[in-house]
Amino acid sequence: MLSLFQQGIEAVFTFQIFGLVFFGTVVGIIFGAVPGLTSTMAVALFLPVTYSLGAGAGISLLVALFVGGTSGALISAILLKIPGTPSSVATTFDGGPLMEKGEGAKALGVGIVFSFLGTVVSIIALIFIAPTLAKIALRFGPHEYFAIAIFSLTLIITLASGSMVKGLLSGVIGFAFSTVGIAPVDAITRFTFGQTQLNSGFEILTVLIGLFAISEVIKVAENVKHERAATIGKVSMKSIKGFGFSMQEFVGQLWNGFRSALIGIGIGILPGIGAGTSNIVSYIVAKNRSKYPEKFGTGVIDGVVASETANNACIGGALIPLLTLGIPGDAVTAVMLGGFMIHGIQPGPLLFTTQGVLVYTIFAALILSTIMMLICEFYGLRIFVKLLAVPKHILLPIILVLCVVGAFGLGNRIFDIWTILLFGLIGYGFVKGGIPQPPFIIGFILGPMAETNLRRGLQLSDGDFMGFLIEPISGAFLMLSAASVFWHIFQAQRAKSAKRRAVVELEA
Amino acid sequence: MGDAKKREYVLGFVILIAGIVYLVMASQLKVPERPGVHVDASFVPYVLSSIMCILGVLQLRAAKNYVPKPKAGNGDDVDYGTVGKTIGLVFGYVALMSYLGFPLMTVLYLVAQFTVLTPHDKKVNYVLYTVIAVIASAFIYLTFRYAFDMMLPVGPFDF
Repeated sequence: MLSLFQQGIEAVFTFQIFGLVFFGTVVGIIFGAVPGLTSTMAVALFLPVTYSLGAGAGISLLVALFVGGTSGALISAILLKIPGTPSSVATTFDGGPLMEKGEGAKALGVGIVFSFLGTVVSIIALIFIAPTLAKIALRFGPHEYFAIAIFSLTLIITLASGSMVKGLLSGVIGFAFSTVGIAPVDAITRFTFGQTQLNSGFEILTVLIGLFAISEVIKVAENVKHERAATIGKVSMKSIKGFGFSMQEFVGQLWNGFRSALIGIGIGILPGIGAGTSNIVSYIVAKNRSKYPEKFGTGVIDGVVASETANNACIGGALIPLLTLGIPGDAVTAVMLGGFMIHGIQPGPLLFTTQGVLVYTIFAALILSTIMMLICEFYGLRIFVKLLAVPKHILLPIILVLCVVGAFGLGNRIFDIWTILLFGLIGYGFVKGGIPQPPFIIGFILGPMAETNLRRGLQLSDGDFMGFLIEPISGAFLMLSAASVFWHIFQAQRAKSAKRRAVVELEA
Repeated sequence: MGDAKKREYVLGFVILIAGIVYLVMASQLKVPERPGVHVDASFVPYVLSSIMCILGVLQLRAAKNYVPKPKAGNGDDVDYGTVGKTIGLVFGYVALMSYLGFPLMTVLYLVAQFTVLTPHDKKVNYVLYTVIAVIASAFIYLTFRYAFDMMLPVGPFDF
């Protein structure tokens, strides 16, 4: 392990990768900070750039974009009171009031430092959990992979959104789109309508760019004409010592930070949900556990610490299932999965034995980009603040052109550009219908995994479905899947009854 | 019936129709019958289409009981005109790219899109928009063409 880690560090400290990590972190922070741009969009847009790079360099760039993008959102959350990405929604609750009280520098300092610490804790968890999990996963066969895919699908459905029907629908549509092309095992062509370009199915990258970038551009068009320039809060960094907060305040927040990091890692590991959920969950937990919950929302650093530590801790958490099982933990890691595939690498337990140096290069790149994030965000704050003022009506069309270039670069086909437009419209339809997008991606990625392993598993057990239940690991995961669905139905029914009771009491 | 409730109903019908269409398409798959094999290439599409139909019915039921949340603002202030123009421009951009090439079409698209998206309280500045569009188009084209060897369509111009 140590020798591989040393090789990873050596690889990252080459001029090319070091430069790419720096570039990726800065660009990621910009994408995170500017409302309307997301870290998912940043990673998707830069995938084509990685074509001409080696696997280590390309994936290091994507990792840096991920780290920068997740943390950068705190800048606009505090200065504009608008979260740059969903990962910093809870940061606005106390970051905004702190800014109004004239303690913007303290809010930024706390946010930056605890973003850094959250990422570091999650990287440590990743380094220690991932190889062990990969060793266990090496023993997995089709039965286990099918059960894990089903478990992941049910989890995203039950945890991703308020409406179970809509969450489930999103996952099912994603799964349905993955059935286009040549079927696994018997190579039957499905739903291609005679288009040979569809034989290999829809490219994951075109689906992602369409769903997350194009739909976002269309969504912004809805009200960009009525939008007024947001007032950017001014923070003077001249009189600030250190990171803007005292050692006593720092020590006082350590337990809050540690608990938030654990929440972030745990949520990051679960498929389909990530930083967008962890920051809110962590904020609620911090508020409930606080000695002064009534002060939350009025400008206490505890809220910023909880939100920023948890969202960044998702980074390492989300990478654990991606690297060990090939299952993305959230939307960004789903795009990164595409990045691995572009370089002909299949994430999974074998990655640790066949591509050990690459895995540890990714770990080293994560550490380096986290350090760069800390330095760049603090010392480059003035530059990032200026970028917040770039008007959306100029920025978004250029982003769309980059999306088009990214899609075209996949196979030098105009067909792929039409595909991103198709998925962009589907994504916009989802937004209008209140349907969550992440389950679609998870369904699209895990669908083929579930189908392939279902059919292989049946071949192994001579067509007997009981094989999936008899195998201990697959049986356990299938039972957990059923339990998670029933639990969600029970919770939904209980909430409905409580609502009904409240209405009756009100009427009485 | 409010707009939000109507939207929930429309969603239910769309899901149901999509499920039925998918079910019909699944039934038309040409899968050779093999003795002892019950799960073939049509199995998953059948399962998914059935789930979609059930979800459509559940969504219609949810729409019936749907109570819209009171809105804080002046209701739905979505500018669908700009959305429609944006989608139209993007489609035009892609459709004409093969004929006119990436550099020219990108300049035309960007200028048009900047204009369409310009907020009401700002003046449309064609000179500035053209300069930004030309620089962005040239920078993106040259970067991807020479740094990443990507052969973007050039159209009538050869750079």
